[in-house]
Amino acid sequence: MTNSIRAIKATTGDRSVSTPNSTPNRADGKKDPWSQLLEKVGKSQDRQAYKALFEHFGPQIKYYAMANGLASHAEELVQEVFVSIWRRSCLYDWRKAAASTWIFTIARNQRIDILRKLKRTNAEITIETEDLWQIPGENDNEPVTSLHRLMAERRIRESLRHLPEEQVTVIAKVYMENKSHQTVANELNIPLGTVKSRVRLALGKLKVILQDQNT
Amino acid sequence: MTQHHPDSHSLMEYSAGNLSDPHALCIRLHLDQCDHCQSRVDTLDSLGAVLMEQQASVSVSADMFDHILARLNDEPEIPPMAVNKAGNALERLVQSDINDLPWKRQLADVSVLDISHLFPDQPEKVVLQKLAAGGKAPAHTHRGQETTIVLQGAFSDHKGVFNQWDFVVLDQEDTHKPIALEGPDCITLSVLSAPLKLTGTFTRLLNPFIS
Ligand SMILES: [Zn+2]
Repeated sequence: MTNSIRAIKATTGDRSVSTPNSTPNRADGKKDPWSQLLEKVGKSQDRQAYKALFEHFGPQIKYYAMANGLASHAEELVQEVFVSIWRRSCLYDWRKAAASTWIFTIARNQRIDILRKLKRTNAEITIETEDLWQIPGENDNEPVTSLHRLMAERRIRESLRHLPEEQVTVIAKVYMENKSHQTVANELNIPLGTVKSRVRLALGKLKVILQDQNT
Repeated sequence: MTQHHPDSHSLMEYSAGNLSDPHALCIRLHLDQCDHCQSRVDTLDSLGAVLMEQQASVSVSADMFDHILARLNDEPEIPPMAVNKAGNALERLVQSDINDLPWKRQLADVSVLDISHLFPDQPEKVVLQKLAAGGKAPAHTHRGQETTIVLQGAFSDHKGVFNQWDFVVLDQEDTHKPIALEGPDCITLSVLSAPLKLTGTFTRLLNPFIS
């Protein structure tokens, strides 16, 4: 496990060069380049922008599928995610979520859909994945976005760099391998309480818990 | 606004897509009504995105993009996405106002409706419970974990008052004796990871809770 996290850290550096050629426009404020591309897809079905997104996010999503035990469906997942991105792009609103967050939630939902299909017995599924797991921005009741929300990814990327490896390991297992806290504890051979306290420390630094205490 | 929120661990498991359907439903119903938790989930979704970005990547087959374009060409019209559906996820699931469901009365004040069959392939027991306004439920403890969200009305127990959209998790340490407040009947949705057992004399009456 430690090895795979090291591998993750090693690739992070390489990835940083991979930004689209278009320089972010100052007038676009906090809009990052990927969100600009996604907006072009939504507004004018721009296939070049779509391809740039595919080249950046496609390989990430394929890894995500493989880490999740969907190796034999990894390319299927990438396809489904991109078809879904095309169809939904008209609903994308950069003020509600950065492109990468929006795409992550689509990948998560499509993964859940594929797992449901694989698990399905004769019983009919009565509830839609999207009734349970929401894609940001697709709900009228959502409050207008705060700057805080737009900055979230930048802040998280920054905070994550300073987290101890043992904390990153635990969170990465929850997100990338879809392991419950209990499974992570079993795998790392540590008590459930230790997993929870590592998560709590990490979320505290990522300001998720801090907001907990304000209410 | 709601006072009792899901903990950060549950929200993280939700954001990661690791929860079972019934547990995800409880969280979703809460998020629909709680901006505070919704904003925590937004942050967690961004955490997921950043983690995905920091993983190794695996190249996709050379012709995949063309396959995708071919699929899109087959349906040149982008079907409009249905965004605003009527009611919340639970109402769509049971296709009814929750007050008009075929409730099964078990005690003067207590009615239940088991909706586990709406979640095929899920091990949990999923139950709607209705406690008549001002009514008392028998004391009971929990053998496993019970996640509850208040859908209507309010109840109180030794831990405090739980209003509409409040989120409660109980486990074996908790013996509680809920009392519904005056007002509309108190209706809750509970997901039981293991059957609960009664401490009082109502064991036989509340049989559906014990499988
Ligand atoms: Zn909340």
